[in-house]
Amino acid sequence: MEQLAAIFARAVFVENLALAFFLGMCTFLAISKQIKTAIGLGAAVILVEGITVPVNNLIYTYLLRDGALAWAGLGHLDFSYLGLISYIGVIAAMVQILEMMLKRFFPALYQALGTFLPLLTVNCAILGASLFMVQRDYSFVESAAYGFGVGVGWALALVMLAGLREKMKYSEIPQGLQGLGIVFITTGLMSMAFISIARIEL
Amino acid sequence: MIRARRALLAPLIDENPVTLHILGICSAVAITNSVYSALVMSLAVISVLAFSNVTISMMRRQLPSSVRLIVQMTVIASGVIVVDELLQAFAPETARTLSVFVGLIITNCIVLGRAEAFAAQNRVGVSFLDAIGNGIGYSLILISVAVIRELFGTGTLLDVQILKPVSEGGWFEPNGLFQLAPSAFFIIGFIIWGIRSLKPQQVEQAEFESIVAPELGGD
Amino acid sequence: MDKESPLKAIIVVTATALLCSVLVTLTAVTLQPIQKAYADLERIRFIIGISGVEDSVDEMSELEIIVAYQDIDVRLVDLQRGAFDSSYDPDAFDMWKAAADPQLNVPIPADEDVARLGQRSSLVTVYLVRDGEQLQRLILPVYGQGMWSTIYGFIALENDLNTIADITFYEHGETPGIGDLILRPDWQAKWRGRKLYDEQNLLRFRIIRGEVNASSPDAAYQVDGLTGATVTANGVMNLIHYWFGSHGFARFLNNFPSIGDM
Repeated sequence: MEQLAAIFARAVFVENLALAFFLGMCTFLAISKQIKTAIGLGAAVILVEGITVPVNNLIYTYLLRDGALAWAGLGHLDFSYLGLISYIGVIAAMVQILEMMLKRFFPALYQALGTFLPLLTVNCAILGASLFMVQRDYSFVESAAYGFGVGVGWALALVMLAGLREKMKYSEIPQGLQGLGIVFITTGLMSMAFISIARIEL
Repeated sequence: MIRARRALLAPLIDENPVTLHILGICSAVAITNSVYSALVMSLAVISVLAFSNVTISMMRRQLPSSVRLIVQMTVIASGVIVVDELLQAFAPETARTLSVFVGLIITNCIVLGRAEAFAAQNRVGVSFLDAIGNGIGYSLILISVAVIRELFGTGTLLDVQILKPVSEGGWFEPNGLFQLAPSAFFIIGFIIWGIRSLKPQQVEQAEFESIVAPELGGD
Repeated sequence: MDKESPLKAIIVVTATALLCSVLVTLTAVTLQPIQKAYADLERIRFIIGISGVEDSVDEMSELEIIVAYQDIDVRLVDLQRGAFDSSYDPDAFDMWKAAADPQLNVPIPADEDVARLGQRSSLVTVYLVRDGEQLQRLILPVYGQGMWSTIYGFIALENDLNTIADITFYEHGETPGIGDLILRPDWQAKWRGRKLYDEQNLLRFRIIRGEVNASSPDAAYQVDGLTGATVTANGVMNLIHYWFGSHGFARFLNNFPSIGDM
């Protein structure tokens, strides 16, 4: 239990995918203009990360890794090179299924999240989380904690940036820096702050 | 001919995928702490882009729109796996430094963006040039950032000592911050500032208006 | 045929899937031997690097490295019994792969698992460097969790089985520019001549914060810490503590004088 809490806390603060690994930056910079939309996208990311990382963990453990097919009597096969294509397939399928289910059963939530869901297939924070999970050899339970944690961490960073950007409309920014330029510099400053958190040992 | 030239040259500065469309930023930030990784990453992205643009363009008349995205993703993912395996076989140390970022080329929205916005409507030859152009545009940013970060972070370029550090009797004190990721954000921010000062038509006028990428906002 | 018909969609998807899987599988299968050969050579290069050869390993050709490796006696050790084991071919046995195999691995009890591994192979590959009959160095594999990733390394002991002759780390994904300080030769050089155990056979080795005070009675067991990379340095210390603790090589090292020339 303590181990899981540590994985979760590390994924949120220390190994924040947006600010320490810079994954999902396109979406991160594009959809951080208002806190409200940022919260919607953040929730969608938490949901998708929380589902896809453990599912990919199962696929990796029971289908792809070296010797994973031992349960089918095919222990000598190693399909790990098919990892990338399987994970992205799972992610695309999950996003699609999630979209249909929300539409059918939770129309209000669908209204709020709907437009962001399709974008998440090509968000590298989602694929990246699955790749890190494989690289670090997490067990199923650990991968669930990790997936949920990275989702929360990414959403947290997004909402914070959106908050800063809403305040920024009161500032006078040099012409050429307006918009994208200043957002980059702000993100850089946020990332420095997170690097200091990374020094904390968990 | 003009079209071909435009396909190749426009993405270099005028329509640079990184600075104008904010596509493919993850890798631009994450692996630019050494020029060598940036070079290898650039080559990998250019190969995947060319492969996917050419393949998608060849298929464009046969591709039903309902399954378009999933087919494009499959083609791109296969291209990335091939590049990843090649790197692991012939440049294993670099493959290790780039770790998950080679795999993440799949979700680099430059690749899917160009397949969707250009290759799906254009002939093979032009699509190939478009891929090379966008690939080089991306590489330009990647390599300039990497040059700054490696030079000031360690005093070397491609591991050759350029500025002699104090620890070896020189004058240069390596600035560790340049090796850390936040510096990449600052450097890209300033590059954007520079480009937009030279090309004022790219400046975003009203704050809080659209800066969303024209094709796909994902990464 | 109508471009948008469901049949067409199915045909296109199947054809793409088929072609792509053929392409990917062909590449993977063709390149696998090259990748494996390279990985093996890399590992051998690191072992030779700390085996006490006179030339710098960077200047040795592939052939010279392989020839040098021929002279090294590769053995499998059953850590539980602290004895050599000859039920497998040591050159073909993969201890990292075995660590994931339920038939070959042993779980590590939580209170001993300081390197955060979970389980390890019951048999471990060790490398004996001999000069004639005389043992020169004993090279042992070590690995454990760093800050982000698993750190792998080899440690070479002098023939007193206590003094560190050399150490090398070869696969890690620690923060570039910070955690990868563990690869720096000047830091690794500080390990040389340090001792693991004291006279009472107690594991005294530490990586401390800051610099070792040379006048301290513990200085012989201590290595300087890495400024800014405390987590990685602690990971390295923990993996040493695990591998030279009672669940690691301790029993084998104790037994070695009596079984060593077996």
